[in-house]
Amino acid sequence: MSDELAATIIGKIKTHAAPEAGEITLDTRLDELGIHSLELTEIVFELEDEFGIEIETNAIDAWSSLSNVGDLVEAVRGLVGTRA
Amino acid sequence: MAASGVEKPRIVITGLGGICALGTDVSAIWEAMRAGRSAIGPITTTPLHELKVACGAEIARMPDHGIEHKRLMAMDRFSLLAVIAAREAAAQAGLSLDADASARAGAVIGSGVCGWEMIEDNYRGILLEGRPRANIFSVPRGMTGAPSGQVSMDLGLRGPVFSVTSACASGNHAIASAADQIALGRADVMLAGGTEAPLIWGILKGWEAMRVLAKDTCRPFSADREGLVIGEGAGVVVLERLEHALARGATILAEYAGCGLSADATDIVAPTVEGPAAAMAGCLADARLAPEDIDYINAHGTGTRMNDEIETRAIRLVFGDAADKLSVSSTKSMHGHCLGATAALEMIACVKAVTDGIVPPTANHRVPDPACDLDVTPNVARVREVRAAISNAFAFGGTNATVAVKAYRSQ
Repeated sequence: MSDELAATIIGKIKTHAAPEAGEITLDTRLDELGIHSLELTEIVFELEDEFGIEIETNAIDAWSSLSNVGDLVEAVRGLVGTRA
Repeated sequence: MAASGVEKPRIVITGLGGICALGTDVSAIWEAMRAGRSAIGPITTTPLHELKVACGAEIARMPDHGIEHKRLMAMDRFSLLAVIAAREAAAQAGLSLDADASARAGAVIGSGVCGWEMIEDNYRGILLEGRPRANIFSVPRGMTGAPSGQVSMDLGLRGPVFSVTSACASGNHAIASAADQIALGRADVMLAGGTEAPLIWGILKGWEAMRVLAKDTCRPFSADREGLVIGEGAGVVVLERLEHALARGATILAEYAGCGLSADATDIVAPTVEGPAAAMAGCLADARLAPEDIDYINAHGTGTRMNDEIETRAIRLVFGDAADKLSVSSTKSMHGHCLGATAALEMIACVKAVTDGIVPPTANHRVPDPACDLDVTPNVARVREVRAAISNAFAFGGTNATVAVKAYRSQ
């Protein structure tokens, strides 16, 4: 599950990342992806649809505490776990 | 202002930037204008679906602007065009803004519509493809204030920054409003102009419904004119307090002479003679210029039957005998009607006419119209001294704005 979730999230990020962004791993910092903070939120919305989760928070502030891709994966995992 | 008796500071133009179907910088645009080369043609860059209208004045290929992905995602096309034009204008002016200077520098970029690219994509995606939500950048991309904000972020302008909107007169209202910021002492330098990216199905569909679009091309003042052609683009001028420009050794291109603003207050689409005439007369008074001082009028000249005839009558009403001595042209025959950007692009034509002593022509002119009996500079540019020029912009809503520029003299 964990590998699959991480791979799905990294796959989503890749479709939004700057063309010049290199390899994306769990350690890649979110501010190095060349993605606007709002676009990052959109990625999260796509994950909501995919995993049937809902994040009840302000879109702009939602993910300000996350620093790398791994943090994002764990946050989503937590929400998916809550639903389950 | 003459009317109030208060002495206004002199304001000069130190930079120009532009992008439209004629070219992606001012030198390319001016070269095409001088040559009387029309850039109107089939629209190829945007899906037209079942639209009947098929011609426009599009920017076939965007220049390599190098704006990073992260910022680009937050910009609708009209913001991108504004930033490209603003960068060029700021570079020509040689602006380098430290923390103190940036607080005294601002921007007013007008738009007549708004950023429609993402709006269109949302409607199609949600209603036709079943997408669950709008794009997250919908609001910051679509808002009419976005281009001014994006220009401020790109150039580090921290003074007065806002947009103005008055349909097809937005560019001139923006220039007038920016000049006011300097006159009122709120800024030393203002980037001013307009931007529009209306070559999108939803907008063109609206224009199509009005039956004012030409089928093949735009022929202002020609007896066989059929209507207007929509174009896209952006134009920006750097306005600067004279003393500020002199102190930093800037090259002065021309002087901003004044503006005249009026409203018809009659109908949302049908123009009057009196409203435009009041704008031109007000502009001459504000600029302290006599009719005989004006050598060139960049006409609103949309190529509709009604506009061109009424504008001719308004010019005759204001200029009297001097009307037969001045040159008139509509450069919309070449760059199309770029709506909120159009007056800003036409300001480029006016400043270059003053600096180069060349009147750009009205392209696509075929048949003289007795109802448009001014010297409309048909098809071929005219070499003549241009001491001062005015640019007309008369919009739906009956909102009129005329701006005057003149050759810079130290005294």
